Formats: sequence, structure tokens, C-alpha cells
Amino acid sequence: MTPRIWPALALLCIGAVTLGAQAPPAPADNRERDYLSRVRRLTVEGRRAGEGYWSPDGTRLVFQSERDPANPFYQIYTLDFATGDTKRVSPGTGKTTCAFFRPGTDQILFASTHHDPRSLQLQKEELDFRASGKERRYAWDYDPEMDIYAVAESSGTLTRLTTARGYDAEAGYSPDGQWIVFSSMRDAYNRTLTAAEQKQLETDPSYFGEIYIMKADGTDQRRLTTAAGYDGGPFFTTKGDRIVWRRFDEQGLIADIWTMKPDGSDKRQVTAFKAMSWAPYEHPSGEYLLFASNKLGFENFEVFVVDTAGTKEPVRITYSDGFDGLPVPSPDGRQVAFTSSRSGGGAGQIFLAQWNHEAVRTALAAAPPR
Amino acid sequence: MATLLRSRLVPLLTLLAGIAASASAQSAAPPTTRAHVERLASPSMEGRLAGSPGEQQAAQYLVEQLTRMGARPLPGQTSMLSPFTFTAGSKDGGSSITVTRGTTPSTFRSSTEVQALSFSDSAEVSGPVVFAGYGIVVPSSATFGYDSYQGLDVKDRIVVVLRYFPEDADATTRAALARYSDLRYKAQAARQRGAKALVVITGPRSPNAGAVVPMSFDTALAGSGLVAASASGAVAEAIFTALDDKTLEGVQKEFDAGNPHTTGFAIPNLTLTVSARVVREQQTGRNVVAYLPATPAAAASRPWVVIGAHYDHLGRGSAGNSLAAADQAGQIHHGADDNASGTAAVLAIADALARVPRKRHLVVAFWSGEELGLIGSTAFVNAPPVPIAEMAAYLNFDMVGRSTDNKLTVQATGTSPAWPRLLEQANVAAGFDLVLQEDPYQPTDVSSFNGVGVASLAFFTGAHTDYHKPSDTAEKINYDDLDRIAGFAGTIARRLLDADEPPLFTKVEQKTDTGGRAGLRIFTGTIPDYATEVKGLLLGGVIGGGPAEQAGLQKGDIIVELAGQSIANIYDYTYALDLLKIGQPATVVYTRGSARRTTTLTPSARK
Repeated sequence: MTPRIWPALALLCIGAVTLGAQAPPAPADNRERDYLSRVRRLTVEGRRAGEGYWSPDGTRLVFQSERDPANPFYQIYTLDFATGDTKRVSPGTGKTTCAFFRPGTDQILFASTHHDPRSLQLQKEELDFRASGKERRYAWDYDPEMDIYAVAESSGTLTRLTTARGYDAEAGYSPDGQWIVFSSMRDAYNRTLTAAEQKQLETDPSYFGEIYIMKADGTDQRRLTTAAGYDGGPFFTTKGDRIVWRRFDEQGLIADIWTMKPDGSDKRQVTAFKAMSWAPYEHPSGEYLLFASNKLGFENFEVFVVDTAGTKEPVRITYSDGFDGLPVPSPDGRQVAFTSSRSGGGAGQIFLAQWNHEAVRTALAAAPPR
Repeated sequence: MATLLRSRLVPLLTLLAGIAASASAQSAAPPTTRAHVERLASPSMEGRLAGSPGEQQAAQYLVEQLTRMGARPLPGQTSMLSPFTFTAGSKDGGSSITVTRGTTPSTFRSSTEVQALSFSDSAEVSGPVVFAGYGIVVPSSATFGYDSYQGLDVKDRIVVVLRYFPEDADATTRAALARYSDLRYKAQAARQRGAKALVVITGPRSPNAGAVVPMSFDTALAGSGLVAASASGAVAEAIFTALDDKTLEGVQKEFDAGNPHTTGFAIPNLTLTVSARVVREQQTGRNVVAYLPATPAAAASRPWVVIGAHYDHLGRGSAGNSLAAADQAGQIHHGADDNASGTAAVLAIADALARVPRKRHLVVAFWSGEELGLIGSTAFVNAPPVPIAEMAAYLNFDMVGRSTDNKLTVQATGTSPAWPRLLEQANVAAGFDLVLQEDPYQPTDVSSFNGVGVASLAFFTGAHTDYHKPSDTAEKINYDDLDRIAGFAGTIARRLLDADEPPLFTKVEQKTDTGGRAGLRIFTGTIPDYATEVKGLLLGGVIGGGPAEQAGLQKGDIIVELAGQSIANIYDYTYALDLLKIGQPATVVYTRGSARRTTTLTPSARK
């Protein structure tokens, strides 16, 4: 569904929605209303949209969407909650993903492949493929061309922040706007791989995904994780004192939520949920993390919350077959943007809901210890 | 797909309240949607049946409202009232059938023996008789070959056929035949082969055995160009007595197997005289159509934008489309949701847009005759006072007063690539839980505009148990959300008025495989919820005492399998209905909440 997910999983996830025609979903369970109200689809245009992240003042959202008839891949758009207007902020060619507002500036970062001279050719090939009427299951390709850029909205000036061979993406700024935490697969390209590793790279490059940190100008790039398996989807906490991310096991089947200090020390496992738990994001209260997990069925992702220290069992938030994930609370903590396939058609769109913080706290307090 | 609406020049417009507020200093606030609905759904309007005094009274109210807000008759017109004639009903004017064997005529005249079919020509014809089985022709394009007329010469003959379709065939055959068993289709097949008349009999092995087909109110009244009547079992008996070696029941049994090689035959030594008389009552309905000129009118950008809603309803339910329970039959059907709500929304939007600058002309239309088959809007697009090419977009409002859970359905979104962005933009502020449906082939006036190539949207808040009943009353309307819908759609209308480029029209292919009309002969007592998109058939309710209720089904259940057919949508459901047999239990698999359950439903005959 989105790049912050393991590829085979993305494939299965969308496939599930298509296959779901045989097994109709039950209506959304009313229990969702304990935590979410006025749930509604925010994005309409285009085939799919996802990864909506709030501006620090909560007036806009930046997200990725396939809505340009000339480009079948994601581009980055901002949506203004006051006017409803959307604006593309990425170059328009190539693939992009995973945008984030830089606090205190007019910059927005995202990952892009537009420097790849094959970009237009790849767009055309994909458009021709779609025009042929053939279908393939959606899968993220971890394009090794993917590098992180920052664009200044007022001037349109685009600054390239990473150049390493290998997928650099899934980036987010620190609350003070001075640091960027991201995921990179450069480890697969900057050394000689064993035969087994080479085979691994060909089947699943995300195995080489590790968390990195760099200054907002792209300097001082440092690696924070070294464990085998895909480490990705990192974000700073609201206070900026820790990083939350998700770590897959070596087989890429089980993922759990972790946190660490920005220097890579004090790594702590928050969930041991025996499922694919990923896309963590801290609620601005600092009390708990929102994340997505397929705990309730391999193809059925739901949003959960867990206390920041991970002392409790997670609490389920959404009740909708198919995909509910990538939950991102608004800066005031009273709304949540998430990506869901609940409107049907197989592809995800961004949804918005009011977030009942008090009910979530109460449920977490009542949750059994882990 | 290239020309999308450019909205950079559009000033921010959020909700209607905002538009009105900017002008509130200049004039008093217009009536609320509640005031409009309460007035239109009041007893004095008598349910606003097209052509009735109640409809005229409602039309007068709408003219007053449009005049108050400064709207004018369309260019070239002197009045906002735009009358059209329509057939308000049909009845049998005394049809008869005479069966003559040798020199002995017997004539049947009673209404229980002979009824003209509603689409029959009024004429008398005589001729020799050919029995053509079920009279079904499956077009050669279909995968299943079946032609009741194979090997038969029916030119200048009178064709006698069985009603419905073979009762004992396997499910696949029944499904293939069922969709070509509509009486209009049978009449067409007979006419195309040169028959003088079609006589339909309900076989002894069929539901409603021996009964004549009641004269139904049929608004698609173009005559079939054929004399067509139904006859009772007694008439059938008189015809088949001419055969020494066959009985009607025996013959029907042969055909009921569905074998395509079972052929009809001429009935010798017999002459039928069919005298059909259909009396059709012509009435006059009134569309109310006006426009708010661009500001200034001389600088108007073309094309225009149209908003509309039907304001007619069912009167006292005499036209055959009432769902009133027996103890409520004949009462006023107030139609507060259907469609005083949509009428009120259009009035509210027009009121708001009357107070702001407009780059384009805005047509404000209220249709009559919608309940009788989209007659008013069809008359408008067939003789458009503004050329079709000059109408950029049409927004339709039909049943928008019963929003629950913040849900709003928008249909016909496939008619322009401009709609998704406009809907997304406007809904960021409006905040509805939108249910989007691309299909413009909806049972409301949006179909008329889609049919002539105008990019359209239809707003709808869903069916409910008061639908087409006297209990569709004003106090049940959700006025807060009705106002929000007017605000949301008003924002879209304003962006259309201000846009540099009109939305492009895209043709949405009609799903033709929508299942046979023959499904109509069986009664399951389910009320599908058309508004909510789920995989399966969501029940908006079940009819009290009907087979579905007896099977334990209830509102909110989702039927996922019927008679072994998986059900993904309403079309699958309609198709599966063809496979059901009256009185024979069918397995229904459904979900309730997260539970998957199975029950048995026994369909009854639709009377």
C-alpha cells in the first residue's frame, strides 16, 4: 500500500481487498465509534492516496497521491483544510513518496527518483501497461534511485539531501526542524555482499533497510540500527527526545514497534504482538503510540494504540475489513488522518476522523499488562 | 482527461451560511430548508401528484420563491411554468376475444377473462392461431440459443404465448430465459415476425395460474404497434379444445423443461378475434424552470450550469408506485424526503447563489412527473429551452433529507473527470462521509441529463422504510444535514459558475447485464439499500410479514449468497432472483455484524 511497508505485505494487502469480493466485509463495527467519530474520506481524486502528515500548525496535510493522468506514480501534494485546495509540491516526474513538513520553515521533504533519466520512460511503460487492461498487484519496488529532497514552497527550490546508491526514503524531521531521521538500503550497495546477501537483495531489498539520521542540510549522515531485517518508518516523538520506528524480523514476517534515543542508544521494544506491527506515530500527549497491525488476520490491518513504554497490550481502534493503517494524529491530538481501503475499489485513500483522546486513555489504562 | 476545472480564480467559499452572511445586510434571510419542506409536504399540497391541483399549488409556491430571489423565466419564455403532457394512466376500455371453431363463436368480455396489455394498440384483428410456447427469443448474440418462433410462420397470425418462462428448466437456463420474458419483449418479438396480435395466457403450471395480467400503469407508453391482450384460463381452454391430442397443461409441461428444441404449432380450424381497447388518460404536468443571470448578464460565460430537483410525489398513491401498507392505502403521501428535501436544497442553493457574483447563468429547475418515470426532466431535455450544448453541468437532488451517520451519497461521479477534485475540495470543509458511485443510470432525473451528455452529479441520502409511504413526513427530516448538503453542493455549484472551463462529459457505459425483469414475478420482501456500498446486498429493511422477514432477515443484514449464487452487488442479486422459484425454499447466506449466517427464504408470488 505504501512504501513504509514491506513489499510482499503490500502486495498481499491489496490483493486481499480484491479477493475480498468472495468474502464480503461486515459493516464497520460500532466499537470504532468509541474512539473515532465523523470518520470520512478526505481524498477523492486519483487512483490512490496515502501517507498524510500534518503541518505543524495543523492547517494542512502533505500526502502522496496518484492523481496526475500523465504520471502513474505517486507525487506529493499539500491539502489546505481551509480552502480544500490541493497543490503538487514534487517535481511531477518520476516516483515520489513519504513527505514531511519541516517545522519553522516553508520546506517540505520527500523522496524522489526524478533525477533518474529513465523516469519518463518508466512512466510511459506503466501507463501503457495499465492501458492494456492488464492488472498486477500493487507492490512497492524500493527503487534504488530514491533519494531524499527538500523543496522550499515559496521559491520552489529543490535541494537534494542524499545521494547514496540504494533506497533513501521514509524520512521525518525533528520537532526543531534541525534533523532528519530516515530509512536507507544503502548497506546493500556500499560493500561486497555475500552470495546469500546478493540473492536477498534480488528478492527483497528491504532486508537491508536501516535507520539513519542526518542534519536537515543532508550532512552528518549516521547509521542508528544494525540488526538484520527491515528497519523503517522512523519518526521523532513530539518532544524530539526519542525516535519511534518498526523493525521486521529477518524473514520479514513479524514486525514490532521500537523506540530509541536520536543517537541510537537505549533501544526498547514497545510491542511483542506476534504480527506485522508497523507505521508507529506518537500521539502529541506523549502517552501512547498509534500504529497498524495485522494481528486480526493476515490481510486485515487495523489501527492500534499502545502506551509509549509498551507495558500494556495494545488496544484496537478501527474495525473495518481490509486496510486501515498509517495513523497520524493532528498536532493538537484531536484528529487523526489515516489510510484506508474502506471506501472500496481496492486502493487506499486518506481518511480523517475526530480522535477521542480521553476514551483512548481510559481503554489503555484498562488494558492488561503485556 | 486533461481539462479539469481550474479553480484558482474562485474565492474561498465554504458553506452556504458564509455566502448568505455576506449579503445578509442587504435583505432578510430567505426561508430555511425546514420552512420549504414543511410547506411542500403539508396536507394542502396533497402529495403533489403530477397534474393534480396539489402539484399546481406546489408549482405556484416555487414560482413565488424564484421570483423573490430575482430569478427570471428562461430566455424566450414568458413564464417559469413549463407544461408537458403525459399519460396519467391507462385502463381497459372493454376488450374482448372471440374464439370461433367452425361457425360457432364464443365471446369473452369480462375483465376477469380478457384484459388488454397496457402497451397494446386499440384495434380489432382476426386471424388463424399459432401457439408459440413462452414466446421468448434470446438474441443470437447471447451465449444461450432459444427461439420460440423457430420453424413457425406467424405472419398475419394471432400468436398465443404463455406468460413468464419455463418453470422446470435448470437454473442457468431459467436465468438466460427470464431476462427475455418481459411482456413488452414478447410483444416486440411477435410484432417483428409479422403477427397480428399477441394473446398471453398464464399457464396452469405457473404462478397466478389462469389469471389475466392486470392492466398496469405503464408510463413508457409508446404503443407496441401490436394488439396485445391477456386471456384467462377459460379462454385458453376454449382455444386448446381445438386440439384433440393435447391439453394446455400437457403442452406447458413440455415447454417447462426449457428444451430449446420444443416447438410451437398452429392450432387448426380456429379463428381468434381480438378486440383490444386501451383508454389512456392524458394530463398536463408542470416543470418550474427559471434562471439567475450571470452578473452582469451581458458578460456571461457559456455554457450554463443547471441545478434541479423533482417536486412531484405520489399524491394518494393511486399511480401504482405506492408502498403503503393496506391500512394506509389512499392516504396522502407527503413526500417530505421524496422530494421536498431536494426541492428545498435547490431553493437554498439558489437563494445563496442569487446573492453572489456569477460568471455563468444558473438554471434552477424543479421537475414534475419524476415519480411517473422522469417525465418532466425528459420533456425538458427533449425540447430544451437552452441548447443542450450550452448546459455545462447538472446537479440533481433527490431524497437528501435523511442523512444518518454523516453519510452522503453522490452518484454519477463517472460523468466527468472534473468531479473527484471538486468533490474532494468542497468536502474538506463540509466533512461528509461521502459514498461515491460512478453510475449515472439512476432512477432519478440525473439520468435524463446524463442521457444527453451533460456532466452530472446526483445527491442522495439513502432509502428508508418510509420510502413511498404516507409516513414520509416533514418532522423526520434531518434539517441540519440537509442544510449542510445544500452548503456542500452550493460550493460545487459556485465553483462551476466561476470556473474558466466547464467540466468535460465522460460517457459511463451502462451495465446492461442487470438481470431479468422476470425477477419481478417473485416476491422476497427485501428492501435493498442502494446508497451504501458494500460487497453483497445490504438490506435497508424487510417488508413486514414478507418472506425475508419470515426467514429472519432484518435491516442491516448483508446478503452474500442466494440460491448458490454469490452476491456482490444489486445486479448479482437481481440476477439471482431469476433463479428462485415461487414456493421453493432457497438458501440465503448473509452477514450480520461479523457473524456469517445461513437461512432459508421461501419466495411467494408477486400479485
